Amino acid sequence: MLPIILLSVFGIVLLFMGFLKSKVLLLPATLVFILAALATTFMDWGKTYLYFQNMLLTNNLAILFTTIVLLSAFMVVALSNSFIEDEQAQPAEYYALLLFSLVGAIMMISFENLIMLFVGVEILSVAMYVLAGSDKHSPRSNEAALKYFLMGAFATGIMLFGIALLYGATGTFVVSGIKSYVYTNAYGVSLLLYMGIILLLIGMLFKVSAAPFHFWTPDVYDGTPGLFTAFMSTVVKTAGFAALFRVLSVSFVGVYSFWWGTLAALTCLTLLIGNVTAVYQTSFKRMMAYSSISHAGYLLIGLTALGTQTKQALVFYSLAYSLATISAFGVLLVVSRQRQDTNGVNENFDAFNGLARQNPLLGFVMAVSMLSLAGIPLTAGFWGKFMIFTTAADKGIYWILVFAVLMSTVGIYYYFRVIIAMYFREGAAEPVKVAPFYRYVLIAATILTLVLGLAPGLLEGLV
Amino acid sequence: MNASYLPSDYLPVLIQLGLALGFIITTMIVTHSIGPKRKSQKKDDPFECGIPVEGDARTPISIKYFLIAILFVLFDVEVIFLYPWAVNFKGLGVTGFIEMVLFMGLLLAGFYYIIRKGVLKWE
Amino acid sequence: MQTDLLCSLIPLFPLIGFAINGLGFRKVPASLVGPISSAAALASFAVSLMLFSGFSGQPVKATLFDWISVGSLHINFSFQIDQLSLLMLLIVTGVGSLIHIYSIGYMKHDEGFGKFMAFLNLFLFFMLLLVTGSNYVIMFIGWEGVGLCSYLLIGFWNKNVNYNNAARKAFVMNRIGDLGFLLGIFLLITTFGSVEYTDIFEQATRFAVGDKMILAITLLLFVGAMGKSAQIPLYTWLPDAMAGPTPVSALIHAATMVTAGIYMIVRSNVLYTLSPVTLEVIGVIAIATAILAASIGLLQNDIKKVLAYSTVSQLGYMFLGLSVAAYSSGMFHVITHAFFKALLFLGAGSVIHAMSDEQDIRNMGGLRKHLPLTFITFLLGTIAIAGIPPFAGFFSKDEILAHVFLHNKALWGLGLVGSAMTSFYMFRLLFLTFFGEFRGTEAQRHHLHESPATMTLPLIVLAVLSVAGGLLNLPGGGWLSHFMEPLFAGSAQVSPEAFGHEIDHSTEYMLMGISTAVAIGSAIAAYVVYISRHAVPAPESAERSGIAKLVYNKYFVDELYEIAIVRPIRALGDALYNFGEFIIDGIVNGVAWIVRAASAQLRLLQSGSIGFYVFAMVFSIAVIVIVRFFVRF
Repeated sequence: MLPIILLSVFGIVLLFMGFLKSKVLLLPATLVFILAALATTFMDWGKTYLYFQNMLLTNNLAILFTTIVLLSAFMVVALSNSFIEDEQAQPAEYYALLLFSLVGAIMMISFENLIMLFVGVEILSVAMYVLAGSDKHSPRSNEAALKYFLMGAFATGIMLFGIALLYGATGTFVVSGIKSYVYTNAYGVSLLLYMGIILLLIGMLFKVSAAPFHFWTPDVYDGTPGLFTAFMSTVVKTAGFAALFRVLSVSFVGVYSFWWGTLAALTCLTLLIGNVTAVYQTSFKRMMAYSSISHAGYLLIGLTALGTQTKQALVFYSLAYSLATISAFGVLLVVSRQRQDTNGVNENFDAFNGLARQNPLLGFVMAVSMLSLAGIPLTAGFWGKFMIFTTAADKGIYWILVFAVLMSTVGIYYYFRVIIAMYFREGAAEPVKVAPFYRYVLIAATILTLVLGLAPGLLEGLV
Repeated sequence: MNASYLPSDYLPVLIQLGLALGFIITTMIVTHSIGPKRKSQKKDDPFECGIPVEGDARTPISIKYFLIAILFVLFDVEVIFLYPWAVNFKGLGVTGFIEMVLFMGLLLAGFYYIIRKGVLKWE
Repeated sequence: MQTDLLCSLIPLFPLIGFAINGLGFRKVPASLVGPISSAAALASFAVSLMLFSGFSGQPVKATLFDWISVGSLHINFSFQIDQLSLLMLLIVTGVGSLIHIYSIGYMKHDEGFGKFMAFLNLFLFFMLLLVTGSNYVIMFIGWEGVGLCSYLLIGFWNKNVNYNNAARKAFVMNRIGDLGFLLGIFLLITTFGSVEYTDIFEQATRFAVGDKMILAITLLLFVGAMGKSAQIPLYTWLPDAMAGPTPVSALIHAATMVTAGIYMIVRSNVLYTLSPVTLEVIGVIAIATAILAASIGLLQNDIKKVLAYSTVSQLGYMFLGLSVAAYSSGMFHVITHAFFKALLFLGAGSVIHAMSDEQDIRNMGGLRKHLPLTFITFLLGTIAIAGIPPFAGFFSKDEILAHVFLHNKALWGLGLVGSAMTSFYMFRLLFLTFFGEFRGTEAQRHHLHESPATMTLPLIVLAVLSVAGGLLNLPGGGWLSHFMEPLFAGSAQVSPEAFGHEIDHSTEYMLMGISTAVAIGSAIAAYVVYISRHAVPAPESAERSGIAKLVYNKYFVDELYEIAIVRPIRALGDALYNFGEFIIDGIVNGVAWIVRAASAQLRLLQSGSIGFYVFAMVFSIAVIVIVRFFVRF
């Protein structure tokens, strides 16, 4: 559990580095810190350890999820070069908050005690509330922060209530303890447990923005500065699903018949709302918000059809989704900054008009990421969807499968709007410039997406 | 811990709840109904120490008060941890001492950060 | 393991070469392009030689990673090194390297030199994947890849519309074959649950001869082979493919890619041995192809077209060998054919180079004085392909014919006729090009020159191989058939009667004598017509009578395809298009309209008011709890 300690210390170090005259060191230092945390994560590879008096548990699955989270954070930070030039920005604080939120994410991924889940969720969320409002002079950013905070606090309260009820029913906070309670009382489980499950689930579903608890998502994603939106939609989601998977697959697998129907209904609702609403958007960023809702829906299918294949599917899907989302936001950041319209940065679809001609690299990166999100073969996204659908087929829940496939065809429509704008529309003539390091990050993400699309077996056997 | 309570075991809680609620409701109703009601302009006027009211009550207060208050609460709460540690000082031994030093170190680092940030500067 | 590393290095080198030259096109200096790509090919050749010298006789499998796993089906990205892949490796990298070197001289002045070399490297990469892959899926990747490269290279001079059409024709014809191959792979998966060669052949030995499933699989795979190896009815693309630069014709359309079909059948020999019906089909198609193509070759006047039809015809001979289960003879002919056909094509390239891009042999003649090296090597190649002893072609073709003789006397007779035609058209080509008077323009005469060393050196190497290649497998149990024997253990097990016919020596010598006499006789006939009587083929505009007209126009096969296939498909396409306009579009647009309308409604839910959001959340929680706990269903 060295990464948790390291990241906390590094966060404080970064705060103090903010006092230095020059801001140049901050970005490389943060990258190094994240890499150090990533390296120490792998010290526990292949083993299962309980840490801090049974508070946290690391195993290969947790390490993989941690890796995805840290990798996403690494790429997001690497894309943040604009802070250095911005007078208003306070990069030291931003980076410190990012590192702190990573601590929360890792706790959510590897909790063994429900208290740790709660603490992790709070650490992650509080940091995100602040980052959502980090653009202090933009009313939209302030609105986003306040909305996120109010709704988030409400959801956390419900989750805490759920945890309390679980404790009331089982007398323990420990995940495996709840599991043994469920198994020993298979026929006479307390009503409190059921209520606790529902409330805990609702709290977590809020965090991963599943319908009908998704209302905050479009407004918050839209108002938050683009970089932190990318962070939110990857790190928070991955951590949230890791936590959901752990609690469902360990504690509540014995009462699968109780919760799967509820989860299945919410899954379909999420898929429907996410995909269908995305169709009508004119802002690319808002479309990405709905797309993130719809991807939460696909991931939920894996949980609904909980089985032996689920964890592999979740890991692969999270990775594919994170890579594609970050590269999409990376391109959006550059383009929106250089194609300003009267309202400041232009985050609409039309900002991408003719991009493929002025900057073929950016066009290609964006095209691959859209194809991956849409789940077109030869990209990682296709195999992610394929694995998720396989879990549902294995479990025999075919109706959800049919629904998901229908919805993903709707998805193709709005993802391809970007590609059409880039390749078939005429746009502004001036070229879009990209800094070299920025470009390398985008290329790396694209190559990873393609490699995973060509050889999905690479990750096999790790979990 | 005894995890299997019967519904009847919750009866004392219910009685307690009923009594508490009942007391409040009864008192409120009773005071309203039996008290005398006299109204006059002077009586309905808000006043403070006999000084006449001027302007709106909603005057904006500097955000600095708020910041200081929050910081006060923050450090105040964390200092509370010193009490249980002091009580168990001997039992916790050297490990406890080191942990407390770390804790205080973090706290002081935060304090230093606040000062360097200039949060406590009034002007 | 070291072998693993070596195996992955072989295709890696050309890929690196492709990356450097492809990404750095116009940036890499022209003087470096050639050495880089040739070095990549040569490095692969060196590694292949190392593998060959260290080969123990046991197949080696190198798994790089688990590539696709779906349910119980696992497809590895792995290479298999055994006798067959080693032979193919040596041919592909060896002949490939020579052609790379040759291309430096041939293409140096072309605008797209870097692009050309990059494509050659890419082609080599895919070809190596094809022959080293350890399962049908890897083979299929290579199969598709070489098809793509062939498309790119045929249409290399893409400013010419005819060339582009030729490229498209090759691609479409190959796609038809690929569809068969792909269906074959699917059937393999359903039948055997695997695509690994070792698994499939191990399981196949337990099938009975004549199994229906195996029949379907082998026929489908053969459809793939027909496309790639230009057999009737999918052969018409190969002559058109001569639109590409000559080194491409040599590398792709003579030495390597077209033999992919043969490789695949030899690889799957167990399956084919299990299905005698398929072998009969192959035999009929093969002999028809061999004779048809040879007869067309008799009257062609384009130097490359003659060689192209000769390739089609020789491929027919290879399939003929396979059809009588003489797999090692088929492979032997693949090897010798790679030598002499590459030599002939490169020689033709040298001639074309000297003649300032003139390809019509009616405008050549007397070139032996101007291009002595090219002439000698071309002569050696001609003797080799005509089947005159002791050159390479004699041994390999004779071995096939000997096996055919045992199997079916009629087929043997037809084969002999084809062989006579081969000898005739090759010597006709030689005499018209290199003997007699020069018939070109004055400008061309001035320009005549021997090609540079980068071009003649590969010619000399290939000439030596064409002369001596027969030593690999001398009659009566040569090295090659002994070397390849382990490959056919499975076949011998499932159908012992298909093997082991020993031909007695007197018959063998008699057959040799007959075919030698036929070849030499045809050569003399050609000499009489084109040297003694100075005959020159009539120009394009001349009236041709009956059969000559039919043959000269390639039996009107292209026209037949146009009328019988292309036009009906176009008409069908138009009909379907009109149908789609009304009904399909209506459905599609209707669904899209519903989604958009729903989207417009759902969007209104997002009011922006946080009070409503919280209300919606609480309401949903209440609904969930009520439905979950209070509604019974």
